[in-house]
Amino acid sequence: MDCDKCGASAVMHAAYSGLHLCERHFLRSVEKRVKRRIREDALIDNRTTPDDPETWVIGLSGGKDSVVLTDLLYDTFAEDPRIELVALTIHEGIEGYRDASVDACVELTDGMELRHEVVSYASEFDLEMDSVAESDPENMAPCAYCGVFRRDILSRYAEQYGADKLLTGHNLDDEAQTALMNVLEGDVKQIAKHFDASLGPFPDRPSGSNNEPFVPRAKPLRDIPEKEVALYAHLKDLPVHMAECPHASEAYRGEIQELLLGLESKHPGTRHSIMAGYEEIAHVVAEQYDTDEQPDLQDCERCGSPTTGDICRKCQLVESIHTA
Amino acid sequence: MDCTAEVVGDTTHTIDVADGDTYGDLLTAVGLSTHEATVLVDDTPVPEDQPIETDHVRILRLIKGG
Repeated sequence: MDCDKCGASAVMHAAYSGLHLCERHFLRSVEKRVKRRIREDALIDNRTTPDDPETWVIGLSGGKDSVVLTDLLYDTFAEDPRIELVALTIHEGIEGYRDASVDACVELTDGMELRHEVVSYASEFDLEMDSVAESDPENMAPCAYCGVFRRDILSRYAEQYGADKLLTGHNLDDEAQTALMNVLEGDVKQIAKHFDASLGPFPDRPSGSNNEPFVPRAKPLRDIPEKEVALYAHLKDLPVHMAECPHASEAYRGEIQELLLGLESKHPGTRHSIMAGYEEIAHVVAEQYDTDEQPDLQDCERCGSPTTGDICRKCQLVESIHTA
Repeated sequence: MDCTAEVVGDTTHTIDVADGDTYGDLLTAVGLSTHEATVLVDDTPVPEDQPIETDHVRILRLIKGG
């Protein structure tokens, strides 16, 4: 099969668009879509200047998504005086898994003029996920603890680095799965939160008015199917850690993933159309909830993070683990 | 024609392929989906709708699950 752009040998076929692309045009196509997403989300505030640059913190795990995101952002913005990039890697304390992925992060950033910070649960909370998964004092899935700790570190350090935006490597499959899960669970409030937290263009979000205490997030890879992100990493020979977390237990997301890929095979373009419709719905419900009463946030008595109660969820979990 | 398909880091399969079968059919034959793996011919990825023209391929799993 030949590339539809230049006639060279194709390396992939995108069934949803019908296009066959060679290596050069496939890489260019991924880069174009990411740059378009950055423009459409108005990621760069039009008041940003070289004298008053923005800082973007990238959540870099060493998996294919965050490695591709870091590589793409570095290629695009390393020379742009309006943007300062910081890569943040979190070590959760998972034997035989995280050490290898931190190595991948270091290998990637070694060749870049990029600030790269590694923060661990051990130094932050005096705990490691392997022992948390074993003691499990709250009778929850390991991902439920880990997600709270990860969000806490990402938000806190993003703030500490003076970040204007926090960027993560979520791809099209991740986002379509989340969208479908929110719809199937009937969780309209969560759909509104999804829009405000990471889907909406910055001018359309409440955080655009600087009223939000959290560093706003963005997902520049969210138009790229997961396989294409992985193919991009393979073709560019990027250092990627492929293993799955040994504590991964999101069974429901796995079911949704299978369902979506089955639909995609029979009806190419399903993931794109789900997201197109979902974003419109999410925008409408976000506006609805925006006018409703918002919860009052106050500072956590222990760590100062914004919370609706006296003590934030992270501090509750850390205490529960240490007293178990 | 027989085609050997080596799943990188895993097993090797010998598949009986018919005229017109595609690399996507080869993925299906080894139990993988076109959304999770790609076929490499001489170490270069090939589109899954391309007819099979070789008797040896490597299969690279790109994502988990699927």
